[in-house]
Amino acid sequence: MTEARLVEELLAFIAAGKADEEAFNRMALAVFAHQFETNAPYRRFATQRARTLRTVKSWRDVPAVPISAFKDLTLSGRPPEECPHVFMTSGTTKGVRGKSHHPTLAVYDRSMTVNFRRRFMGEHDRLRMGILFPTEQAMPNSSLAHYLALAKSEFGTDESRYFVSDAGLDVDGAIEALSRVEATGEPYALLGASFSVVHLMDALAERGRSFALPPGSRILDTGGFKGQSREMAAEEFYGRLSATFGVPRRLCINMYGMTELSTQFYDDGNEACPSVKSGPHWIRSRVINPLTGQEVPRGSVGVLVHHDLAHFNCASAILTEDAGVEVEGGFQLLGRADGADAKGCSMAVEDFLKAARAQ
Amino acid sequence: MTVGVMERAGHLPGLSADAVDWRTLTFRRGAETLDVAVPVLSEAQVAELATRVRANARIYLKSRTVAEIAATIDRAVARLLDRGDPWRQKAERLLPLVTGYDAEMVRLGLTGYLKTFRGPELRKFIAEDFANPAVLDDFQPMPKGGFARAFGPELLLHVWAGNVPGLPLWSLISGLLVKAGTVGKLPSAEPLFAGWFAQILAEIDPKLADCIAIVWWKGGDVAAERAWLTRADTVVAYGGNDALEAIRARVPITTRFLPYGHKISFAMVARSALDAGKAGAAARQAAYDVARYDQQGCYSPQTFFVERGGRVSPREFAGYLAHELDALGSKFPRRPLSMGEAGSVASWRNAEETKGFADPSRALLGDPAGSWAVAYTDAADGLSPCGLNRTVTVVAVDRLAEAVPGLAPYRAFLQTVGIAASPEELFALAGALGAVGVTRLCALGRMTAPEAGWHHDGRFNLLDLVTMTEIEGSAERAADAFAPYTD
Repeated sequence: MTEARLVEELLAFIAAGKADEEAFNRMALAVFAHQFETNAPYRRFATQRARTLRTVKSWRDVPAVPISAFKDLTLSGRPPEECPHVFMTSGTTKGVRGKSHHPTLAVYDRSMTVNFRRRFMGEHDRLRMGILFPTEQAMPNSSLAHYLALAKSEFGTDESRYFVSDAGLDVDGAIEALSRVEATGEPYALLGASFSVVHLMDALAERGRSFALPPGSRILDTGGFKGQSREMAAEEFYGRLSATFGVPRRLCINMYGMTELSTQFYDDGNEACPSVKSGPHWIRSRVINPLTGQEVPRGSVGVLVHHDLAHFNCASAILTEDAGVEVEGGFQLLGRADGADAKGCSMAVEDFLKAARAQ
Repeated sequence: MTVGVMERAGHLPGLSADAVDWRTLTFRRGAETLDVAVPVLSEAQVAELATRVRANARIYLKSRTVAEIAATIDRAVARLLDRGDPWRQKAERLLPLVTGYDAEMVRLGLTGYLKTFRGPELRKFIAEDFANPAVLDDFQPMPKGGFARAFGPELLLHVWAGNVPGLPLWSLISGLLVKAGTVGKLPSAEPLFAGWFAQILAEIDPKLADCIAIVWWKGGDVAAERAWLTRADTVVAYGGNDALEAIRARVPITTRFLPYGHKISFAMVARSALDAGKAGAAARQAAYDVARYDQQGCYSPQTFFVERGGRVSPREFAGYLAHELDALGSKFPRRPLSMGEAGSVASWRNAEETKGFADPSRALLGDPAGSWAVAYTDAADGLSPCGLNRTVTVVAVDRLAEAVPGLAPYRAFLQTVGIAASPEELFALAGALGAVGVTRLCALGRMTAPEAGWHHDGRFNLLDLVTMTEIEGSAERAADAFAPYTD
């Protein structure tokens, strides 16, 4: 199948509004075949695991690429130089950034907009937005910058604006915008990186400011703290978020996305933490034991594998480093599955790299 | 299924169990569960215990000779070495459950470790640090003139960490040998052994055991930690650098602070050890160092530098090592990993595998269940941490000495080097390794079993704990003038 045809089918698949196991399987096998045929490093990877066009019978058989591989391998069906859009992970432990190449953003954008409308916008077609993240121009390789730009252009009113620039966080601008809608009663949407939201809350707290945003207002945060602000437990974060902006916790929505995906997961608010995340019908997740690759019994903690049909040019099945558990209606994220809970006095990778960087 | 009744951890001389709040830590291994009750002390109880331990040490411990104290420790250790003793049986039964380590590995490990604390070995501990051990008991003449005596702290606080069974014994015994009133904070990952040892001491010499308190607080509980830190004369702490930094920030400036941070260790195999007859044995010993306590110890090897030019190539050695790890896996299965640990192993393996796609000279040997893995590289890779839990990298080098300069950035973190090389190579490498910060060289197969009197991280187990009180020659001579017999 040509790439153009695959893109067409994927757009139709998204438009179909739902997919049963069989339909998902069919599409997943077509995407796998495309990746296996066009993407040499992925073919090597799959073959080494004895997963070929002949042996892969279901989407569950499609070998999941560890996200660390995006740093070492060029996983792109189309030659990278033919891909006008490259999303890169933010700074990483080794200074190498994982890359996802996109020959077209047609599928990415459709995936984002269809899902965003359903999971974030509620009854609104457009909302006045404040964005706590740099623009797409400032960060051309950031998938989140693109995501937020898309949110603003497709779902924001003309008055929507960014509050992060080269000069940093525009606290005064944010206060002005928040005060205005507080006065006019226009529902407002605040979107951005979780750490920027913390910075804004800290700045507001310093000035003794809090808001009661009009009914219908909502907040979207994403990405965790990544050492960019102090760590905050989810319970505390959403408690403060709600108290600072006067937005009920059920409308404080967390988006879980990755550079290595073209589809995002959302929760239905954060009245209880950890919230339940779920995605649309073109992405499915499994919870596995990372050592054996076997699915863990339902309800047990494992590492998340996502199978995102929209990520057609790279690798649609990826093995994350996120611990999670499958629950009714989706999964709960339980932080990173790394050596943070190491038991001994033997130095673990994270500490070592930190030490090496400090030199 | 629950094993026995709830196990009560710690040792709180003078405090009745009913007066103390207890928290339950639950340990699971397969279908077995063990509840361990750990004490949660109020500030008033901390103060009371600190005062009591300090006073008891002043009255009793300081009046004993170091030889008498060593004899009591020896008797306690003898009981733990006796497989018929109820304490030993309890240790063999419960420690595998708590730590997850294979029962046979725990049993062998305990015996090997405890042997280093028998009477004669304790004398080595003392002799390593004190040319004249009597200096711990009384003023002794000094070569420079005058007299000196070594005093241990009245209250020594140990903040232990980790799950390697029995590890707290090292500093606990060091403290007792310098007659320190002792408070030890149990590691949550293995909260039993130190308390048992204090209770055994109580059966042998109750007064000595009254100079020891074994307590617990939740890691990061700032108030509890501060209550103890401000009452100690000296603090010995184990843990990662972040944890140590947090503790140090709360230790008063007048209190001596002795941190033992996480370390990285590695091994070197010279071509002289790589002939057909010797390479197999070297690989077997190397695998043992890797498997023992699943690389949780600071002395556990994470990288093997293997020299080219021997009859057995580095690549072949990696194969031998893989074979031996596989064999050890059935004899001493790895303990069940938490999801985080499994994630670390998996991401290391995945990264190694991915590098192999780009560089065909790399290889990853491992079993499908992921219970061990050996990565091999021809590239001039330096020291790098692996995923722990029986994962190692074998790095081929032309000359072992070439690997040394690359270690320099990690000076603060280097500890043990297991080495298989000829005497000349050993001493030549030792000089270079010592210069970049390595503090211990040992035979392959001995990396996880330091000998008695080992200078942990290059420091002095006992000497670091004491202060010297000196009677200068002038005082002695001046005193003469005031003697009744003076002319």
